[in-house]
Amino acid sequence: MKTFEEKWTAWLDGQLSGRELSEFEASLPDKAAAQAEKAEAKKLGELLKRELSAHPLKNEEFFSHQLRERIVQESGEQRRGRARRSPTSSWWTIPRLLWAGTASLAVFLICTVFVMHQERPAEESQYLTQILNARVDPVVSPNATVSIFEVKQDRVTVLWTEGLQTLPADYAAK
Amino acid sequence: MQTEATLAQSDVSELDLVKRCQAGDTEAFDELVTRYRTRVFGMIYNMVHSEQDAWDLAQDSFLKAWKSIGRFRGQSSFYTWIYRIVMNVTIDWLRKKKIKGGDAEFDDAIQLREIDPASKTVPKTEALPHQAMERDEIRARIEKAIGQLSPEHRAVILMKEIDEMQYHEIAEALGCSIGTVMSRLFYARKKLQGLLRDVYENV
Repeated sequence: MKTFEEKWTAWLDGQLSGRELSEFEASLPDKAAAQAEKAEAKKLGELLKRELSAHPLKNEEFFSHQLRERIVQESGEQRRGRARRSPTSSWWTIPRLLWAGTASLAVFLICTVFVMHQERPAEESQYLTQILNARVDPVVSPNATVSIFEVKQDRVTVLWTEGLQTLPADYAAK
Repeated sequence: MQTEATLAQSDVSELDLVKRCQAGDTEAFDELVTRYRTRVFGMIYNMVHSEQDAWDLAQDSFLKAWKSIGRFRGQSSFYTWIYRIVMNVTIDWLRKKKIKGGDAEFDDAIQLREIDPASKTVPKTEALPHQAMERDEIRARIEKAIGQLSPEHRAVILMKEIDEMQYHEIAEALGCSIGTVMSRLFYARKKLQGLLRDVYENV
């Protein structure tokens, strides 16, 4: 939906046609006054065109020469700017430092978990071996069996022994 | 719209020149500058009314066009594209000048009165002295009237009346809608009719 200003401008410039033109002209309260204003707008346009068109650019070639010089100068400054920036830039940019830090931390955590994982079975194994070797003597108890059940998340270990002839008095499960 | 490109009688198409510019060919850009420099300068002069400022702004506009030629996609004509740069540069400059309070009077209008009539540097014209004076006065009146418009209204009326650009071309150059262009034209014309009625009725 065009505003009155838009329709008026289009009408002045001869851009309305057909139904739009007849509808707009019919909506004008004073058609004679509108036609007079249209003629005035035309005169204004002619005056502006006549008086403002001819403003030549003096020293055209110097204009182009100066522009060429500025382009060369700007290009040189850009190249120098890039050259200045390049020696200061190093491999250790902030994102790379962050990545390197994260990777180091991950490696450290993996190593820690691995070492802890490795240590625990050694303790258990040593403990079990100690019982088997020191407490379950095959001569004394030839049919003895010892089983160990462990639930790590509940921190529970069950030691199941069978066939022991004697259980040393000083032995106490810890 | 008749541009210098059509007057240039050159075999090289505008698009070819633009493509060469995008590949870094400064000679191709020089050719485009040659085609449009007068028209661009004339438009800026009518906006700012100072030859020196118009020269500087035209230089800045072309330099900006060179820097951003890589972004030109050919969806509009090069002329419309560079007009957008010209208008941005000029309107920004006019706004800054207004903020600084330097919009009281046109520089060249002041210079015109400061020229010594007996000076050897007064340009020779074919018109008789009284005719030249009358013409200068008319021109000064027009420039003063245009100076009372906002930069945006100024741009619209000059592009329409002097460059005979279409609404859509003006809209593209100013980055606004066609409706806004038509509305600005309406108010710019009304204002100038009020200020210059005695001029165009008596000339």
